Amino acid sequence: MRTPIAYFIVLSGVLFTLGTLGVLLRKNALLIFMSVELQLNAVNLALVAFSRMHLALDGQVLAFFSMVVAAAEVVVGLAIIVAVYRRRGTVDVDEARGLAG
Amino acid sequence: MDDTISIPSLLQLLWLIPAIPLVASAVDLFAGKKLGRFAGVVASAAVGVSFLLSLRLVADLVSLPVELRSYPQHLFDWISVGRFSVGADLRLDVLSATMILVITGIGFLIHVYAIGYMEGDPRYGRFFAYLNLFVFFMLLLVLADNYLLLYVGWEGVGLCSYLLIGFWFEKIENATAAKKAFVTTRIGDTAMLIGLALIVSKFGTLDFDAVLGAPGDTIAKGTATAISLLLFAGAIGKSAQVPLHVWLPDAMAGPTPVSALIHAATMVTAGVYLVVRSAPLFELSGVALTVVLIVGLVTALFAATCALAQDDIKRVLAYSTISQLGFMFMAAGMRFYTGAMFMLVAHAFYKALMFLGAGSVMHGMHEETDLQRMGGLIRRMPITGWTFVIGALTLAGIWPLAGFFAKDQILEIANHTGRTWIYLLGTLGALLSALYIGRLVFLAFFGAPRSDEARHAHGSPAIMTVPLVVLAAGAVLAGLLLSTSAEGTLARFLEPITGPVPHGEGLSTLALSVIATAIALSALAVASWIYASGRVDWLGFRERLQPLPRAAASGWYVDHAYSTLFVKPGISAARFSAEVFDSKGVDGLVNGVGGGVRRLAAAGRRIQTGFVRSYALGFFLGAVGVLVWLGTRL
Repeated sequence: MRTPIAYFIVLSGVLFTLGTLGVLLRKNALLIFMSVELQLNAVNLALVAFSRMHLALDGQVLAFFSMVVAAAEVVVGLAIIVAVYRRRGTVDVDEARGLAG
Repeated sequence: MDDTISIPSLLQLLWLIPAIPLVASAVDLFAGKKLGRFAGVVASAAVGVSFLLSLRLVADLVSLPVELRSYPQHLFDWISVGRFSVGADLRLDVLSATMILVITGIGFLIHVYAIGYMEGDPRYGRFFAYLNLFVFFMLLLVLADNYLLLYVGWEGVGLCSYLLIGFWFEKIENATAAKKAFVTTRIGDTAMLIGLALIVSKFGTLDFDAVLGAPGDTIAKGTATAISLLLFAGAIGKSAQVPLHVWLPDAMAGPTPVSALIHAATMVTAGVYLVVRSAPLFELSGVALTVVLIVGLVTALFAATCALAQDDIKRVLAYSTISQLGFMFMAAGMRFYTGAMFMLVAHAFYKALMFLGAGSVMHGMHEETDLQRMGGLIRRMPITGWTFVIGALTLAGIWPLAGFFAKDQILEIANHTGRTWIYLLGTLGALLSALYIGRLVFLAFFGAPRSDEARHAHGSPAIMTVPLVVLAAGAVLAGLLLSTSAEGTLARFLEPITGPVPHGEGLSTLALSVIATAIALSALAVASWIYASGRVDWLGFRERLQPLPRAAASGWYVDHAYSTLFVKPGISAARFSAEVFDSKGVDGLVNGVGGGVRRLAAAGRRIQTGFVRSYALGFFLGAVGVLVWLGTRL
């Protein structure tokens, strides 16, 4: 028996919404970062689910791609957050608004 | 007999005639400071060599049979566009031969004179560089074999005229006079350029042979009129004819040798040369010839009245030059081209003589030019004085001097071709000429000295007086040698270009000569009685005639009229463009665009809060927006 596709999509949607809310509402850069990861993984889930439904491998390949890219992104992103912390002693994104117009 | 005629090989050196002054000009321009006093010698020698070469080449030309007296020389292709091409072509024919002899011959004497006159000037070398450059352009003008090369010379002499009028540019009046001369002649030059464009569009070429050979085959009478009048407009500007005459009296601000060379003997006669050269076009039109005649007549009379009222010795001569050029155009307008050319040659002699004489007077009187402060100078500077008297008698038209034949022939043709009014008015012009030149001579050289400068005036050095003597001899002999009648030497020499002299019936030559001489002598007698006898208070007499003399002295207020009609509105228009149109309109537009972008940016920067979350919300809403849009399209 197969799990119906709707389950995966609903779970993906819930995860994505949680991630989005996290990005929009959190002030801590680390938590925002984690929320972004949540969004990415929500999308990955959707990709893999559709891939299985269509019995095509493209979606899974793309999911692998996005994981690799996300891993690279984590490296860069965390490095930036650490640098910001060293410089300002905080990772509150509202404090880092030197680019305001 | 051998019927193949070999062209004398020396004629191949034709290009050297203008080239030598050009090289000397460059030498003086770049090494004038190092050469010091020698710069003048270099310049004079260059023109002298050109003169000797011209003499030799003209002799070679004369040795050819009449129908072969035209030697073209192709130097190089200059402009070649499609089927239209203009070459750097020179041509030595009887007309250009006459001109180059006048230019280099009289030019040489004036250069020699200038060695003495300009001595001690801080820009001595540059003066001679400009003077030689002028000679080059003038020779180019008359030797050119197409209208475009002629135009190059035409503009070149204008440039040199500008440079030399404003030679002492430290005085603002001189710089202004130079600018005025340049701008005024430019009006005529522009018309002339349009005329050249018209020639190109109708004939497809600017070569003299093609345009002037048989213009009637190519163009209609109306086109010929248009071209002729446009060319004549150029001549009006260059030869200072009414209504573009206003620059010449002011051009006297330049050094006197410049006035003699450029503004009496050569450049101002370029207009006459142009009309004579383009005669086939003018003849085709007919109307144009009448215009030439009327402009010449009006100018001759108008300028003569102005000359009568001037107190500045050089301004008298300047107005006299304008008036004499008017006579030349009168002759050309009556198709008496030979007469125009004869008058041109004769005038070059006696007017250069008188200008140099005036320069000599100024030299001996600490640059004084006011006739009221002269008097009795003939005792202080006899050579200058007597040569000047010869020049004046020539201009007044006393037999057997050159001016007599020149003027007499023109009036004779007017009489013989049934133009009674032209004859009468021309005779009036001759009367006025004798009167103003008599006034000048008697005020300056006779009577009692009227100032300390006049009492202590000194003669000029030999380097200045020798050219005066040579020119005086020329003024005396030119009349005898060149022509005594319409069938004279010069008339026969020029016939291949100018065609036969017009004929007609009228008073006999003898009667006309007697009338002319009587008029000239009585005018001189009147002038002597008023200005030199001491029995007439001429200043008081002039006061009683006011405001007539004042109006004539100002050139009948033509300058004032131009100032009100053209110059002031021009300045207002310029001020409007600068202060209203440019600073408010153009700058306003640019500043408005700049300011608008600034205000837009000031509004836009508020979005840039620096809060990452608000940017993220922007992404989110954007993504939602895109999804919604896609959804509606499904």
